Amino acid sequence: MSWTGSVLAVATFCTMGSIALAAQDLPGKNPLQGNPDAIKYGMGLFRGRCADCHGMDARGVRGPDITQVWASGRTDDGLFKTIKGGVPGTEMPANPRINDQETWQILAYLRTLAASAPTDPPRGNAENGEKLFRTHCSACHTVNASGGRLGPDLSRIGAARSREAITLRIRRGLETFGPGYEPVTVTPETGQPIRGVKKNEDLFSVQIMDTTERIQGYEKDKMKSVENGTRSVMPAFGPDRLSDGDLDDLVRYLQTLRGFDPAVAR
Amino acid sequence: MRVTMLRFVRIVLVVGTVGTVALTAQQPPPPLVTAQEILDGLTPDGSRWLTFGGNYSNHRHSPLTEITPANVHQLTPQWTFQTATIGNFETTTLLRDNILYVTGPQNVAWALDARTGRQIWRYRRELPTVGLTACCGLVNRGFGVLGDKLFMTTLDAHLLALDMKTGSIVWDATLEDYKIGYASTIAPLVVKDKVIVGVAGGEFGIRGFIDAYEAQTGKRAWRTFTIPGPGEPGNDTWAGDSWKTGGAGVWVTGAYDPEQNLVFFGTGNPGPDYHSESRKGDNLYSASVIALDGDTGRLRWHYQFTPHDVHDWDSTEVPILADITVAGQMRKVLMFANRNGFYYTLDRTNGKVIAAKPFVTTTWAKEIGRDGRPIMLPGHTPDENGELTCPDITGGTNFWPPAFDPATSTFFVNAREVCATFYAWKPEFTPGERFTGGAAQRAQGPDSPVYGALRAIDPATAERKWEFRYISPSTAGLLTTASGLIFSGDGEGNLLALDSRSGKLLWHYQMGATMHGTSPITYMLDGRQHVLVPAGTTLTAWALPR
Repeated sequence: MSWTGSVLAVATFCTMGSIALAAQDLPGKNPLQGNPDAIKYGMGLFRGRCADCHGMDARGVRGPDITQVWASGRTDDGLFKTIKGGVPGTEMPANPRINDQETWQILAYLRTLAASAPTDPPRGNAENGEKLFRTHCSACHTVNASGGRLGPDLSRIGAARSREAITLRIRRGLETFGPGYEPVTVTPETGQPIRGVKKNEDLFSVQIMDTTERIQGYEKDKMKSVENGTRSVMPAFGPDRLSDGDLDDLVRYLQTLRGFDPAVAR
Repeated sequence: MRVTMLRFVRIVLVVGTVGTVALTAQQPPPPLVTAQEILDGLTPDGSRWLTFGGNYSNHRHSPLTEITPANVHQLTPQWTFQTATIGNFETTTLLRDNILYVTGPQNVAWALDARTGRQIWRYRRELPTVGLTACCGLVNRGFGVLGDKLFMTTLDAHLLALDMKTGSIVWDATLEDYKIGYASTIAPLVVKDKVIVGVAGGEFGIRGFIDAYEAQTGKRAWRTFTIPGPGEPGNDTWAGDSWKTGGAGVWVTGAYDPEQNLVFFGTGNPGPDYHSESRKGDNLYSASVIALDGDTGRLRWHYQFTPHDVHDWDSTEVPILADITVAGQMRKVLMFANRNGFYYTLDRTNGKVIAAKPFVTTTWAKEIGRDGRPIMLPGHTPDENGELTCPDITGGTNFWPPAFDPATSTFFVNAREVCATFYAWKPEFTPGERFTGGAAQRAQGPDSPVYGALRAIDPATAERKWEFRYISPSTAGLLTTASGLIFSGDGEGNLLALDSRSGKLLWHYQMGATMHGTSPITYMLDGRQHVLVPAGTTLTAWALPR
């Protein structure tokens, strides 16, 4: 199906899916969990239909790392609804052609890849974490429509990443970057270099958001140089910048961020 | 006034006669497309484009010279046509008598005034709402034409003849049952009085075939399966019953050699796509080029590019024919840039390899051996844990048409530099359901750069002459002209014009969509050369300023 067709189909099915899902009683727990046949079929379904965005290992490509979803507190029922109904406002489409049994098969397979839920109790103070977020992170990251735009919107980060994954990213920074966040420096023939993140590019032009959040396109042949960065602009926050206690608080706060959609929030 | 019946009849007869005479006097000759016109290919007057590749050899090389490397930067849009239909073009348009004949997505088609882009008629096929199995988009690659009929394949696996003047159906032939995995997207190849087509469905466990239909009546003249049946040579290259679901669809238009009366078609991947154990053997005639008698469909020779393919590398690329000098000798060749990453020059009289070399990074085979078989490298059979192989599933190139400039004996192709990790597992077969037994994930990172390039290849040696790099892979088809131009598209939606002798970029225009699988055509209209470009949901006609 073409891209446009997909969008329209997704839009249509999202509407239909929401109605159908609202009326559906779900069992609470995946009835096929641990079933070897279900896991085998689920692997094929996942790799064929989901892995393009989530990766063959389910650790995320364009879409989030879904080995972390149970560890982040999602439930089987909630994930069932997400697969069937998609996530409105994101690239995750509804999947009306995947039937209930297939959905449980996919989840049975994903369970075999899932990171285990943390055994130690939750720690940290989310209220203080929110303050720390405003100090250290919100210049670049938006949460619930407030904050900076240079980095990704983190309004759903608590549903998409486990505590360990979030911790690792804060401590080490990011060595890679997703589409739209590739660092770039454009140097005009006269004037200062302009640093920012790349929003789009072709042979002849580059579109960037600079560090002042100005979005602007530049014609390459009118620039002295256009240089791609090799490392994300997300800095590492080592213990010298963020104590272990503050890190716990910040991560606790981020874990509360689960988006607006009720199907995702659970 | 009271008119008697007799007098009324007299008046009607007189008026009728006068009317007939007047109409007859005004009526221009009907725009009949003859077999000879198709055989003639692209003529210096630039008046027509009557078959997928411009001529039977699929050169996509126009003799027109008004637009040159020196003035191409002055190209100006003349009009844009919007499909107002969901889905994108993958078509090559036809032109006859200043009218364009265009197929679009979802089996919608149009006749357009080439002067203005205004619609003359529109055809839309009522497609089934459920059960269509086209793997990769509800697309169509173009019309064939003969006499006063246009021929179009459909997503529900039919072949239609439409009246060129009205777009209404003249006949409708069923190729196979779409509910069990068959579809058709190929632009028909019209040879003499027959319309030759194939079926898609390599991801659904079909058994592929090529059919010929009588252009006049729609009656089937012959069928040649791309997978031999029991007792036929080659059936033993499929373990057990695996031949029954072996795929080998034919969804890209072939070439025709009138001298030998042979048609040449590339065949699709064997099925299931990735799972080796499900179909041990070479799996003839999948991933091959087959030469069939144009009158009977009888197999004359075959060459299998990828024996026992396990990477979904259909050989449904466009074959190009030419007579070229190789090592001082004139040879009748068939040129083929394959999805598996190798470029081949074959002797088209017998299918023997004359030259073959990788035209992109290729890790699965070291080279093509003297016996014509690839010399395999270990570690490239997909399994549940995945094997990294170059090229990726989409391949070094694919169905987007290459081009050939006979003046410089240069083959042009849009090439992809992408690798992937291929996975496989045993699939279950259910008619009409996907039957691939695996999947692939594109590799991307510092060790696996992803880009594309327009590459010019010397068919005598299979060596590269030049390349023009894109920042991402392109899926655009090509057009060359005798003035030394090549038209292409990049992966970001730019229409590009380059010097075909050097690869130097001369001009570009952002079309707003990539030319995915489409190729421009060029023709003369009211004394000016035009270039017509399908991209996304638009057709745009270009010409130099008046």
